Amino acid sequence: MKPEGSPWTERFRPRTLSDVTGNKEALRELVDWVNSWRARVPQNRAAFLYGPPGVGKTSSVEALANDLGFDLVEVNASDYRTAKRLETILGKASAQTQTLFGTRRMILFDELEGISGQEDRGGIETILIIIKETRSPIILVATGSPEEWGELLDPLMKVSEIIEFRHIPFRDIVQRLKALCREVGVEAEEEVVELIAEKSSGDLRSAINDLEALARGRKALTLKDVYWLGDRDRKGELSEVLRRIFSAKSFREAREAFAESPIGYEELFEWIYENLPYAFDDPHDLAEAMDALSHADVHKKRADKTQEYRLLKYMFNAMTAEVALTRQESKGGGLIQEVRRALLRFGLPPTSLLIQEGGEGLIVKPTRYMGNDWQPLNNLLRGFGGRWLRGEGCWVIPYFRPPGRIDHLRRSWWSRRMLEDLAMKVAAKCHISKRAALREVVPYIRAIFQENEKSGVSVAQWLELDEGTIKWLRGK
Amino acid sequence: MSAELWTEKYRPKTLKEVVNHGEIMSRLKRFVEDKNLPHLLFVGPAGVGKTTTILALAKDLYGPEYMNHILELNASDERGINVIREKVKNFARTAPIQSGVSFKILIMDEADSLTTAAQHALRRTMERYTKTCRFCLIGNYSESIIEPIQSRCAVFRFAHLSENDIRERIKHIAELEHVKLLDTGFNALLEASSGDLRKGINILQTAAAAKGGYVDEEVVLSVLGHVSPKEVREMVLLSLKGRFLEAREILRRLLLEEGLAGEDLVKQIYSEVLRLQIPDVWKVRLSETIGEVDYRLTQGASVEIQLGALLAKFALAGEEMGQSNEARGKSLD
Repeated sequence: MKPEGSPWTERFRPRTLSDVTGNKEALRELVDWVNSWRARVPQNRAAFLYGPPGVGKTSSVEALANDLGFDLVEVNASDYRTAKRLETILGKASAQTQTLFGTRRMILFDELEGISGQEDRGGIETILIIIKETRSPIILVATGSPEEWGELLDPLMKVSEIIEFRHIPFRDIVQRLKALCREVGVEAEEEVVELIAEKSSGDLRSAINDLEALARGRKALTLKDVYWLGDRDRKGELSEVLRRIFSAKSFREAREAFAESPIGYEELFEWIYENLPYAFDDPHDLAEAMDALSHADVHKKRADKTQEYRLLKYMFNAMTAEVALTRQESKGGGLIQEVRRALLRFGLPPTSLLIQEGGEGLIVKPTRYMGNDWQPLNNLLRGFGGRWLRGEGCWVIPYFRPPGRIDHLRRSWWSRRMLEDLAMKVAAKCHISKRAALREVVPYIRAIFQENEKSGVSVAQWLELDEGTIKWLRGK
Repeated sequence: MSAELWTEKYRPKTLKEVVNHGEIMSRLKRFVEDKNLPHLLFVGPAGVGKTTTILALAKDLYGPEYMNHILELNASDERGINVIREKVKNFARTAPIQSGVSFKILIMDEADSLTTAAQHALRRTMERYTKTCRFCLIGNYSESIIEPIQSRCAVFRFAHLSENDIRERIKHIAELEHVKLLDTGFNALLEASSGDLRKGINILQTAAAAKGGYVDEEVVLSVLGHVSPKEVREMVLLSLKGRFLEAREILRRLLLEEGLAGEDLVKQIYSEVLRLQIPDVWKVRLSETIGEVDYRLTQGASVEIQLGALLAKFALAGEEMGQSNEARGKSLD
């Protein structure tokens, strides 16, 4: 264990896999893959670990190396990752299976999402070559999800065993925090630990950091000590910015609101696009406002293409002021009105729910025992992004929906990967482009699978599709 | 057990097997006999046998190992100038391997989607490496190939296949595959394939898989239902009814889960709009709007945002049409 002075996230970093919190399935996949090296070099010589921040990706690799007695060679963002540098750092590490002292090696490329096309020139290509030639297991780690990186890491993912890490469940974070409190001798109220866990939204590292910030030098933690705890995602501010943009009456108001955005302009654009149809319910306003967004999109593409970023200001104007000033007839009940309508349709007596507008969102509080209605109601409100607050006994539905496009991308990522694979194989066999394959042949292959699975499988074999793709086609 | 797609299984392997385009074939056969070729430009609609023809020619010319002497590129997947600079040049400049023929063949399919810059780069490459490499460019329209390239090529225009050509070919395949193709099914199939033989064969194979080789109209229609989902139409109709949020959900599904390319989706939206029962003056207006979106997509704009804006315009159009209909005492639907 690291000395007491070091940050808790270091001090309590798991040293063995059994200490790692959550993601049991991912860990099992990882261990299986590393063990498969014992027999022979497996088909995928790299494993690609990805997932949200603070869920234990790097820690797991370190613990694993420790458990299985590997010597871990690590390359992360603090190293320059140009082709040349990589070759020098790793040198023969990948080619030789053992160190001088006979321990086996494992190579970890961490923080891959930060690899840069400019400074790390040739980096991805070099990693690909290393993977191709390696006699030691290679582990690639990236924080985030494929849609955040764009196509940057695709070439690496294609040759790797993909292992997804997920958010750590609330309960597990609570357990872990409690254990830490015991270890450092701090007595914490249950609610305190739950509040910290809740705020971390599945990021164990940030939860431990918060706990440390609060508990260091104390013997006890009560709710009174933590109520001020900083909100990491600053959603409150964001909803204020959005509200001001949608209701701005002048160019200046809109741009001022924009200037105070707690998130970047690309992400803000997505929030505006997602929520615009709720705020602009008149068809005329909606058409004009969406048109304004389409202008913003064009300005952005021009700025990106020419790398003349002064052009971005036209994007900012279009997505804020131009959008706001199209508003003529809209009542703009927004998401709240949609929720109210949905609740009405749900058909509970009006007195059984107390509905209020709170600071963070719409508060829906049952006034009686809900019984069998609770679950469907919970599903309905979750559909609107609502959360059940156990302590308060109410749902809170945020005033603005998080961008569904991103969510959609995440959910459909696998399908797109399968389709891509299928289209590539078809293109090669049928002498057509990938796009034409997707348009003209892939639908028939899917239809053959639907009509007659056996025929489908034999076509799939001719196309040399892999098991994963066939399984996906079957599942359709 | 593995089963080929019939489009590949029954792709003619030699020029002799290509039954249509008689004039073109007899000229190409001469080239094979002479063991010499000019650069070629094949233009014509989809699914009439352009790629098949050049592959058959290559086989006639080089024999069974013909794949070693050709390089197939598809400009729709690799359309930039770098492809020309790297792949094309590398292939073109090295001497051909021993084959009794003094050149290799580079096939550039969907050449109309090469950028102009790439086409200009190609033009120099074609000249420089004529000795070791012949080019066969394939596209739908000759207009989209720059003049200087056209003038370096022997241009062959492939006509639409006649309905009879397609009928014969499908019948032939059906017999060999022991498919019981009823007249009703046959007619439905021919109508749906609208001159595109590849499409016709794909429909036949899918339909044959459905009911153990018994193909009537019902089976064909069920296949068509699977492969051309009604969702584009549904999306357009929903937006016209002002149900923008639902239309946007479908849009997302089509783009993200079906992996449709923006350009292809615009094309489908466009044909749905032309099929709508709305006044012509509205068709013209919507066509203008779609045209603008289509252009923006070529400039790299975001597909979902641009099509989202288009759907919002449809919603407005629907509203305005509804109002003018109300004024005249009619209702939409």
